[in-house]
Amino acid sequence: MINTILIFPIIACILMLLVKKRAFDSFMINAYAIVHFISSILLALGIGKEGNIPYFTVDNTNLIFLLILSFVFLMVAIYNNGYSKTFNFSDKKINHYSLMIMIFTLAMSGTVLSSNLGIAWIFVEATTLSSAYLIYFNKTKHSIEAAWKYVFICSIGIALAFAGIIFLNIAQGEINTLDFAQLYQHALAFDPFWLKMAFVFMLFGFGTKMGLAPMHFWLPDAHSQAPSPISALLSATLLNSAFLVIVRVFKVLDIANCDAWARAMLLICGFISLFVTAVFVYHIKNYKRMLAYSSIENMGILAIGTALGGAALYAVIAHLIGHSLAKASFFLTSGNILELFETKRIKSVHALMEANKKTGWLWVFSFLAICAFPTSVLFISEFLIIKTMLLEGHYLLCVLFVLLLTIILWAIGKVVINMTFGKLSEDKVQIIEKNKQKLCACMFAPQIIMLLIVFTLGVYIPEFLNNIINCAVAGF
Amino acid sequence: MENGFIILFGLTMLYLAATSRIVSHIRLLIIQGIMLFLVCACHFQHQSALNIAFLTVETLIVKAFLIPWFLFKVVNKNGVNRDISANIPHFYCLVIASIILLLGFVAPNYFVHSEGMKMISPLYFGVSLATITISLWLITIKHKIISNVIEFITMENGIFLLALSVAKEMPVLVNMGVLLDVFIAIYILGLFVNEINREFKDLEVSNLSDLKDYE
Repeated sequence: MINTILIFPIIACILMLLVKKRAFDSFMINAYAIVHFISSILLALGIGKEGNIPYFTVDNTNLIFLLILSFVFLMVAIYNNGYSKTFNFSDKKINHYSLMIMIFTLAMSGTVLSSNLGIAWIFVEATTLSSAYLIYFNKTKHSIEAAWKYVFICSIGIALAFAGIIFLNIAQGEINTLDFAQLYQHALAFDPFWLKMAFVFMLFGFGTKMGLAPMHFWLPDAHSQAPSPISALLSATLLNSAFLVIVRVFKVLDIANCDAWARAMLLICGFISLFVTAVFVYHIKNYKRMLAYSSIENMGILAIGTALGGAALYAVIAHLIGHSLAKASFFLTSGNILELFETKRIKSVHALMEANKKTGWLWVFSFLAICAFPTSVLFISEFLIIKTMLLEGHYLLCVLFVLLLTIILWAIGKVVINMTFGKLSEDKVQIIEKNKQKLCACMFAPQIIMLLIVFTLGVYIPEFLNNIINCAVAGF
Repeated sequence: MENGFIILFGLTMLYLAATSRIVSHIRLLIIQGIMLFLVCACHFQHQSALNIAFLTVETLIVKAFLIPWFLFKVVNKNGVNRDISANIPHFYCLVIASIILLLGFVAPNYFVHSEGMKMISPLYFGVSLATITISLWLITIKHKIISNVIEFITMENGIFLLALSVAKEMPVLVNMGVLLDVFIAIYILGLFVNEINREFKDLEVSNLSDLKDYE
C-alpha cells in the first residue's frame, strides 16, 4: 500500500506530461486523492503493511498523520475541481499546477511515511521545492516575494536541521544509524550534550517548516499568496508533516532522559507562537493572513501540548485532527470569498450572508470550529491541555495560555463578524452577482463534510478512531 | 596536508566578507568546491568505491562546476556585478568575520576532551561552524539577492564540511538526496532571481518587503 501511495504519483506525473490535457490533469489529481485515501484506510485496517520499499513504514505514530493527510487531500482535490474552472490560464500552466500538486503531496506522504531521519529530511526539503511553484502560481510581485521568502527561509531552516542530524550522529558515539526504531532502541547510550544540541538545531530547522514562532516569517506571506486549495494543503497537512518529524526526534530525547530540556524548548516556542499571533492578528488587514496566523497559533498549541505530556498528548492528537479539518475548511471558504469579492482586504468585504448565504454560514462555522466552540473537537483538546496545566500545577502558564487564546479569539471573531454581517453596497452587488456563477457545488461540499466531522468528533469519537489516537499517544 | 586545505577553505570566507564583486564571489565558490574535493581526497583510501565516486561528483562536478556555471549565467543575464551597499563597511565585515573564524579555530579545543568529541576532528568542526555562522551573518547584511544565494551555498559547504568532520558515513542514499535537494533549491532560487529582476528591474532585497501586516 505504501508503494502505491509513493509510486502512483510518479507514473501519473509522467502520463500528465505526455498527455497535457486539462481534463486528464484533473482526473489524475482526483484519482490520486482516491487511491491515497483508500490506501491509507487499508493501512489503518492493517492490510498491506508488509512488502514495502525500504526506509518507509507505517507505525502507531504516523498512521494518524497519514489519515489526516489523505482525507484533507481528498477534500482539497474535490474543491479543486470547481476552483480550477475559475482559472483564466493556459493549459500548460494548469498542467504545471496539477503536476506540482501531485509532487507536493508525494513529498508530504514521503515525510510522513519515512522511517529514517535522513529520508524524512530529504522529503521535507522536497515539500519546500515543490510548493514554491504553487505559491508563485499567480505570478504577481507579491507572490514572487512570498515564494522567495518561503524557499529561502525554509531552505536555511532545513539546512540547520541537517546540522542537527550531524550532531545526532556525533551523539551516537560508536553507533551509526538514522533509523527511528534503532534511534529509540539505542537512545539511552547517547551523549546528552550533543543530543540536546541536535534537538535545538532540529527544532529550529523543522520548526521553521512547521511555522513555530520565531521562525514563522514565511508563513503568513506564503499562505496568503498561494491559491486557496494550496493554502489549505500547506496549513492542514504540510505543517503536520514537519511536526511529526519533531515529535519523532523528541521521543529520542524522552527515552534518553533529556526530555526536560526538550520540553522547555517546545514550551517556549509554543508560547512565543501564541504571543506573536495575539499581537499580529489584532490589527490584521488581510483575512488570508489572519488564517495563516491562526495556523501559527495552533502549531504553538500542539508544541505546548507535546511539552506538557501526559493527558495532553491525547489532546495534541485530537487538536491535530480538529485543526487540520477546520483550517482546511476555513481556507477553502476564504477561496470562495476571494472569488466573490476579488479582494483579500478585510475592509472591502461586507455582508457575506447577503452576498452568498452558503459561504457566509461556512465562514461562521469554520470560525466556530477553529475557536474551539463546543462541540468542536478543538474544545476537548484545549480543555484537556488546560486541565493538564492545572493538574501539573502550572497555574501561571495556564492563565497566560487562556489570556492569549482569548485575545486571538476576540481578534478573529471581530473580523469574521464584520465580514459576515451588514449591508452590501450598490457597486458590490453587480460584481458579486457576476462572480456567484463561478461557485459550484464542489466548492461547498468539502467544507460541509469537514465541519460536520469536526463538530461530531466533539461529542462522539468512534471506537476505531479512538484506538488509532490511543496508539498514536502511546507512540509519542 | 588536509589541515592546510581546511584552513584555506576558512580563509575563503574572509575573502567573501571583504569583497564586493559578485563574479569573484562565484569564483570563490569554485575554489571552495575544489578545497572540499581535496579534503575528501585525503580520506579516499579508507572509503568504498561508491562513496569515492559520489564525493567526487558532489564536490568537483556539482559544487565546483555546475553551481558556479549556473550562477555565472544568472549574473550575466541580469547584469549585476557589485554588492556595494552592505549595511556595514567592508573593513568591519572583515574584522568581524576574522573574529568568528578565530573563535572557530580556538573554541573546539576547549571541549575536545568531552565524550562526544572523540569522534570529531576539532579543526574541521571549528572551521565548519565558523563558515556557517559567517554565511548566516553575511546573509543578514548584504543587499543584493544574488549575494544571499551565494552565502546560502557557502553555508551548505560549511554543513558539508561538518558532515565530513564526523568520522562516520551517512548512507549514500541520504547523501544523494541531500545533494539533489540542495542543487534543486539553488536552481529554483536562481530562477527566482531572474523573475525578480524581470518584475522589479533590479535585485535589491528591499524590493521584497511589501507583504506586511501594517499599512
